[in-house]
Amino acid sequence: MGVVTTIQRFSLNDGPGIRSTVFFKGCNLRCAWCHNPETLLAQGQLHLYPEKCTGCGACLAACPNGARRLGEDGIEQLSALCTGCGACAAVCFSGALSLSGTEMSVEEILNEVLQDRAYYERSGGGVTISGGEVFAQPEFARALLAALKAEGVSTAVETNFCFPFSLIEGFLPLVDLFMIDLKLMDEPAHKRWTGLSNRLVLENIALLDQTGKPFIIRTPLIPGVNDDPAQIVRMAEFLAAFAHLEYYELLNFNPLGASKYKSLGIENPFEQARPLGENALRALSGAAQAHLTKIRLG
Amino acid sequence: MRNRVGTLPPGTALGYKERLAILRERKIEDTKDKAGFMSFADGDDYGAVMLPDDFRFEAIPTHKNGGYYGYEGFSKNFYKLMAQHPVLIDPCDAFAGRWMTCMTWLRQGRGFNPDYSFEHLKPLQALYGIVPGIGADSHFGGDYQIGLDLGFGGLLEKLEHFRGQNPGHDEFYDAEVLAIQGVQAWMRHTIEAIALAIEKEERPELKENLRQMLRTNEWLLFGAPRTLREACQWICWFNMASREYNRDGAGCQLDEVLRPYYERDLKNGEMSQDEAKYYIACLLLNDPHYYQLGGLSPDGRDMVGPFSYLCLEAADWLDSSCNITVRVHDKMDMDFLRKSVEYLFKNKNGWPRFSGDRALSQGFMRKGYSAELARQRVAVGCHWMSLPGLEYTLNDCVKVNALKVFRVALDEMMKAGERSTKRLWALYSGHMKKAVEVTAEGIAFHLKYQVYNQPELLLNLLSHGPVEKGLDIVNGGAEFYNMCIDGAGIASAADSFAALEQRIEREGRLGWDEVYAALQANFEGPRNDYIRAMLSASERYGGGSDSLGDLWAVRISEGFSADVVRMDEQYAPVKFIPGWFSWSNTITLGKMVAATPNGRKDFEPINHGANPHPGFRRDGALTAMSNAICSIQPGYGNTAPIQLELDPGLAQSDEAVQKICDYILTIFEQGATLLNINIINEAQILAANENPELFPDLVVRVTGFTAYFCLLTPEFRKLVVERILRAG
Repeated sequence: MGVVTTIQRFSLNDGPGIRSTVFFKGCNLRCAWCHNPETLLAQGQLHLYPEKCTGCGACLAACPNGARRLGEDGIEQLSALCTGCGACAAVCFSGALSLSGTEMSVEEILNEVLQDRAYYERSGGGVTISGGEVFAQPEFARALLAALKAEGVSTAVETNFCFPFSLIEGFLPLVDLFMIDLKLMDEPAHKRWTGLSNRLVLENIALLDQTGKPFIIRTPLIPGVNDDPAQIVRMAEFLAAFAHLEYYELLNFNPLGASKYKSLGIENPFEQARPLGENALRALSGAAQAHLTKIRLG
Repeated sequence: MRNRVGTLPPGTALGYKERLAILRERKIEDTKDKAGFMSFADGDDYGAVMLPDDFRFEAIPTHKNGGYYGYEGFSKNFYKLMAQHPVLIDPCDAFAGRWMTCMTWLRQGRGFNPDYSFEHLKPLQALYGIVPGIGADSHFGGDYQIGLDLGFGGLLEKLEHFRGQNPGHDEFYDAEVLAIQGVQAWMRHTIEAIALAIEKEERPELKENLRQMLRTNEWLLFGAPRTLREACQWICWFNMASREYNRDGAGCQLDEVLRPYYERDLKNGEMSQDEAKYYIACLLLNDPHYYQLGGLSPDGRDMVGPFSYLCLEAADWLDSSCNITVRVHDKMDMDFLRKSVEYLFKNKNGWPRFSGDRALSQGFMRKGYSAELARQRVAVGCHWMSLPGLEYTLNDCVKVNALKVFRVALDEMMKAGERSTKRLWALYSGHMKKAVEVTAEGIAFHLKYQVYNQPELLLNLLSHGPVEKGLDIVNGGAEFYNMCIDGAGIASAADSFAALEQRIEREGRLGWDEVYAALQANFEGPRNDYIRAMLSASERYGGGSDSLGDLWAVRISEGFSADVVRMDEQYAPVKFIPGWFSWSNTITLGKMVAATPNGRKDFEPINHGANPHPGFRRDGALTAMSNAICSIQPGYGNTAPIQLELDPGLAQSDEAVQKICDYILTIFEQGATLLNINIINEAQILAANENPELFPDLVVRVTGFTAYFCLLTPEFRKLVVERILRAG
C-alpha cells in the first residue's frame, strides 16, 4: 500500500500526451514555495473549509481525539490533538472537512488510471507519478511502475532527484521519462530554500544522461529566489552538456497553493508572490536560450 | 430593424474582410436590440433581427375557433406574411434579407387543431413528464440540392408536373404553390428595395455590391443558381422563408453542397478565394443554420477538400455565433481536425462542434440501413443527424423525463411492499416501458393528424417524395420515418438509484423511511440537510472507477433503448430511435419532479443532456465524464452528446492542440456521438452574469446550439454559469 493524495486524470502538463498523474504523499524536501503543501507530510492531513460547514456536528462525535470544535464560523480544528486519521472527514458530506492522503493499493490505482488507457494510446501519453516525492515511497513506486509497465502503459516520474543514484538506478527499466526539478545551482541557496543540498540532483542528472534515458528538466520560477537571468543562465549552461535532455522547461510561479495553505492551517511564506509577467518570462527564456535551444515556457 | 443603407461615410474602399468586421458589429447591435424579447430568449441566435415597431400581422382564420390549420390555413397565412414582410438590405452584405418572426410565434397560444383530440394520452404524458412532440414542426433535414438544381421556378414546374400525376391532391399542390409564391413576393419587394438602395448608397464599392445583389436576386426569382453567390443567396432565401414558416434550422453538408459552384467560379476566373470566403461568411451571418463539414462520402472517401478549409476560414473571418459541425472519422484529414480545434480556441464562440462517424453510422445501420445511407446522415440539428430529404424524424421534439418516471416508481414502492433498489428498478422499468409506449402512441397520433394541423410546406419542397406523391412529409410523403425519442435526466435518475443503494443498502447509514421523509420535506431541517449532503456525496454518474452512478446509468440507458426500439414492431414501417438529450428543457423538466435522492430539491433542474451533474467528481476529470457518456450511448444512430466547458488556456501550444485533437479522436473511438465545447474562463462568465449587457458578443454553446449569453434569461444564465464554474 502507498499513500496518495489525488489521482489527476486528463493531465496535460505532466509529460507527453494525455496522462493521469498520481500524486504521492510525503516529500524529503521542504521547498518554501511548495504549491502542493498537502503532499509534504507522509501522514494524512486535514483540510478545513469552515465556509462550507453546515454545523451538523457529525465530526464532533466521530473524532476519537476531541480535535474538533464548533465555533461561531463553523468547524474549528485543535491542531495539537489532530492525528490526521480522517474519521471526521468520513462523516462530513458538506465538504467542510477533507482528508489529504489515502492508502491505496497498486490494484486500486490501476483500476482508476487504466480507465483512460485509450487516451494514452492515442496521444502517446501514459501515467506520471508525482508528489510529494515519488522516491520517498520507493517500494510502492517500484510496484506501481512495474504494474504499469506490465500493462504496457508508458510511465513518467516527476522527482526532485535528491536521492542516491543507487536507488534511482533500480527504476531505470520501469520509467520511460524522468521529469526532474532543478531549482537552484547555488548549493547554499538550495539548502536554505529547500532544506537539502543540490549536490545529488546535479550528480544524478549527469549520471542519468549517461544511461541514455530521456529526461526533462523543469525549474519553477520563484519570485525572489531564482527569477533572475543569472540564475537561469547557470542552469542552462549546466544542462547544455547533456545529450538526452528532451527540453528545459521554465514553469511560472503557481499561486494556486495559497488556498491549500489556508485550509491546512499552515503559514504560506509566498502568500504575496505573484506569477511573473510576460516580459520577465521572455527575458528569462531568452537568457537560457543563449546556451540551450530546447526551452519551453510552462 | 435598423437602416444600414447609405450610413457609412465616404472613405477608402472596403475590402471583404473589412465589410465583415462592420457586419459583425452590426450583428452585435441587432443582438442588443433583441435582448429582453422572449421570442429570442434561451434559444439559438438564429441570425434574426427585430421586426419594425409598427409591423402588424392579422392572421386569416380558417377555423371556427379563429385560428388557422392545415394546408389552406398555413398556405394562405404564410403567403400573407411573406407578401407584407419587411425587407432588410445591408450594402456591406453579399446577401439580401434577414428573417424576423415566424408563424410558430405569431400563433402562440393556439394548440393542436381542436378537431383532433389526444386528451386520452394526456394523463400518462403528464404522469411521466413526457414532452410528446404532438404538433411539433420541422426538426428534420431537407435536401438543398433539390432546390439548388431547380430554383423556385423549377420547383413550381415540378409541382405542376406531379399535380398531373396525382389527381385528388390539389389541396397539397395549391398550398405548395402558394408557399413558393409567397417567397417570391418577399423577393420581389426585396428587389425593389435593392434598386432603391443603389440610388441611396454613395460608396462606389458598396454600390457595386448592391448592383450584383440586384442581378443575383432578379435571376433567383425563377432561375436555378449558377454561381456560388447565387447558390448562397438561394440558400439564404430558403432558410429565411423556412424560419418564417416554422423556425426550421436544419442546414446541410455545406462543403459538398456548395463545392461545385466554388470550383466552377474559380475555374472560370469569376471569383477570388477571398470573395468565396466573403460569401460563405455572409451565408453564416444570415442565419447560423446547422451545417456539417467533412465526413465520408457515400462510398467511404474523406470529403474534406480545399473548400472545406475555406468554409472554416470564412467562419473565422466572421468570428460570431455558428453551428458548424466537423464530422470526425478514422480516415479524416488530421490537419483539418487541428485547424478546427485551433479555431475553437481562437474565437471561443463554441464552434465547431464535432460528431463521431463511427458510432453514428454503425448505430444507424443497426436499424437496417446501409453504410452508404448512414454516412449521408449529417449533423444538421441541435443534437441530431438527418438524411437530407429522405426521412421524417421529430428530432429533439420528444422527451421522456426519466427522473419523473423514477419518482413515480419511488412513490409507488414507498406506499407498500418490499423496499429495495432491486424492486425500485423493477417498478421503474415497468413505468418506463409504459412511458415509452404512450410516447410512441403520441407520435403515431402526430403522424396521422399533423397534416391537418400544420403541414411542412417548405421542407416538403426539399424532400424526396412529398411533391412526387402529393403528400405532406409527415403524412406519408417521406421515404423513411425514423422517430426520435429522447430520454432526459439520466444523471439525475442514475445518481438517485446510486445514492439509495450506497447509503441505505451498502452502508446502512440511512433507512428508506428516513430518506423518503427527507424527500417529502424537501430536505428542510438540519437532519434532512445532512441527509441531503450525504446523498449528494454518493458515487455519482461520471465518477469513474465503476462508480455506482456509472453502473446505474448504463442500466437505465440500455433499458430505455430496448423499450424504444421495441416500438418498431408495433408501428412498422415507422421506426423509433432512442437518444439522451434534454435540450434547454432542463429547467422545465425539473419543474415536473419533486425532490429526488440525488440531493436535488423540489422542482430543481434535471441534468443537462447526457452530462453528469456539476460536481460529479472532485477533480472534474473530463476523461471520466467522457467515458461515462460514451458508456450510455443509445446505440442506434442518434446522440447522447458530451458537453464540455474548457478553459481558454488549455490549448496554448501546438502540442496542447494536438492533445485536444487526440482527446476528440479517442472519445469517438470509444463510442461518443457528438461533442459540444465551450471555451470560456470563469472570470469572464462571472462578469457577464453580473452585467450581461456589457458582453453583447459573448457566445456560449448552451446545448447543441450557440447563443448570445445576453439573450439568456437569468434562470438559464445561472445554469450555464454553474456548469462552467463547476467544470473549472
